[in-house]
Amino acid sequence: MAAAVELEGVNVTFGDFVAVRQANLTIEPGEFFSFLGPSGCGKTTLLRTISGFIEPTHGSVRIGGQDMKGIGPNRRPTALIFQNLALFPMMSVAENIGYGLRVRGVPRHERDEKVKNLLIQVALTEHGHKRVAELSGGQKQRVAIARALAVEPKVLLLDEPLSALDLKLRQHMRTELRAIQKKVGITFIYITHDQGEALTMSDRIAVMNAGVIEQVGDGRAVYAEPRTPFVAAFVGENNQIRGRITQVADGFATLETPLGLLKGRNPVGLGVGEEALLFVRPEALRLGHDGQASGSGFEAETLDVAYEGSVTHVTLRVRTGQKITATLGAGSALPAPGEMLCLGFAPQDGLLLKRPERA
Amino acid sequence: MTVSPFQRILFALYIAIFFVYLLGPLAVMGASAFNTPEYPQVWPFEGFTLDWFGKLFADQDMMYGLKMSLWIGLLVVCISVPIGLAGAIVMTQITPRARSLYYLVVVSPVLTPGIIIGISTVVFWRQFTGQTGTRFLYDGVILTVFGQASFISAYCMLIILARLQRFDRAQEEAALDLGASYPQVFFHILLPFLKPALFSAAVLAFLSSFENYNTTTFSILSEKTLTTVLAGRMRQGTTPAISALAVIIVAVTVLGAIVYEILKRRADAAAVQRQRAAQAAEEEELAGTPSPAPA
Repeated sequence: MAAAVELEGVNVTFGDFVAVRQANLTIEPGEFFSFLGPSGCGKTTLLRTISGFIEPTHGSVRIGGQDMKGIGPNRRPTALIFQNLALFPMMSVAENIGYGLRVRGVPRHERDEKVKNLLIQVALTEHGHKRVAELSGGQKQRVAIARALAVEPKVLLLDEPLSALDLKLRQHMRTELRAIQKKVGITFIYITHDQGEALTMSDRIAVMNAGVIEQVGDGRAVYAEPRTPFVAAFVGENNQIRGRITQVADGFATLETPLGLLKGRNPVGLGVGEEALLFVRPEALRLGHDGQASGSGFEAETLDVAYEGSVTHVTLRVRTGQKITATLGAGSALPAPGEMLCLGFAPQDGLLLKRPERA
Repeated sequence: MTVSPFQRILFALYIAIFFVYLLGPLAVMGASAFNTPEYPQVWPFEGFTLDWFGKLFADQDMMYGLKMSLWIGLLVVCISVPIGLAGAIVMTQITPRARSLYYLVVVSPVLTPGIIIGISTVVFWRQFTGQTGTRFLYDGVILTVFGQASFISAYCMLIILARLQRFDRAQEEAALDLGASYPQVFFHILLPFLKPALFSAAVLAFLSSFENYNTTTFSILSEKTLTTVLAGRMRQGTTPAISALAVIIVAVTVLGAIVYEILKRRADAAAVQRQRAAQAAEEEELAGTPSPAPA
């Protein structure tokens, strides 16, 4: 079976501005795939390239094995759910859902039958005759999904559709979207800047920054095994410490930093003398650790303690003035603000990555 | 802040003067239509009569002018609204830098004095029809339609543009994405959205054409419209039959305004109803009434 979507050397430029650089990617049929990145990273451009609103400057887009060059958005087997949903205000809910079938010339009775089934599927059975303006945010969301599903696309593209919703509803819609995807079994490509959304819903995630796909992997991989400093910093909370590699051994390396020598994993194979960044997750830091026996440690002054019940977030300041966050579990003894502490972490919880030149 | 009785009286007086100034001439003219003297006169009121209405309808020239005015108005609507629509769409498609120049060009007919448009229409069409051997087009009605449409189209464009600028481009893209062709997007999405503006543009185009004199007086050649007939009459001295015509026109206008207001209130009420329904649905949703997950 051909891949749902293949991107090969896709570049998109607007004048001098490079929106997407050298994107290579294969998305499998039935996959829930997310593009995660800050605004302006090129994820929406990439989505519009897949749906056909933008032609790539270089490279090719294949959908179901077929090259999409010169094929407009109205002839691609994709359906897009817009950020503002773009429902048609002058049509009823049922007319909105049936629009794709209407322009395809599907006969009325067949169309009505299908719209009825879709209304059942998205739990809007009694709302078919209503205007879009009469619906709640969540209901509009479901109309948009039904309208896109009506044309039976091979790939459903979603451009941050949950961003306009209330927080509680957004979490509910995550589950619902995932359930719909499992049920219809088509490929979903989801665009978001919200890592929570990406991590909870996706089979795989592509993390994007400044037009470049930095890493592709499942949620655990991008969280626990980031391959670039951007991914390490963007996905989840992370502390970073700058330094220079002084020693390399067995997949680990030692970093010389203003805070002393710190040891961490070296998955990208940094060599002695290279500039590097050490990443340590707040939940990997332990208080009172002497750093001698099993790992690395440094001194810090407690600034703020935020008790949240299940966890406590502690903000500390190290000798260089940099702020460090540590997250403590429920049973931990809590430090007092102003207290000097020793912070430590195990070498396998430290991650060394190459420092980008511009940073 | 408290308002003293004195201030209140001043304000009432001001309003009264304002309305007298605005509506007084119309009221005088209207009343004179029902008075018997040969010359429009309200005071003394010598006797109530409806004869002037009869005389008006018996006046061949006026009735002919009215008929031509209605026809020309209709034709101007048919030409100006599509041109205005096309002009407005072009405005949204060109680069922002070209936009200000384009705007200047398409709005210039509005700023040009009507007399100049009238004269230039005649000069151009005489040359054009003469050179191309299409002399049969050199006709007062045709010239007037073209002359009026040349600036009324610009009005229409401005009205349509105002609404078009509020159009959400994503709607067009959504329709395309669902498989619509470009003509389908135009007829299913864009036109329904623009419908109110198209209607306003049509009404305005008709009224501007109907009451136009400056351009028409030149471009009408040997034909006549209501305004040119009226202008001719004024030279010989006015009669209460013209007042009767004024009464009819005012009555039709007021009636139209009332119907419009009723329809608008009805539409507003429906919109409020919808908004209430949306709000209720929103509250229900946030209160956690579980929207049944897809089965």
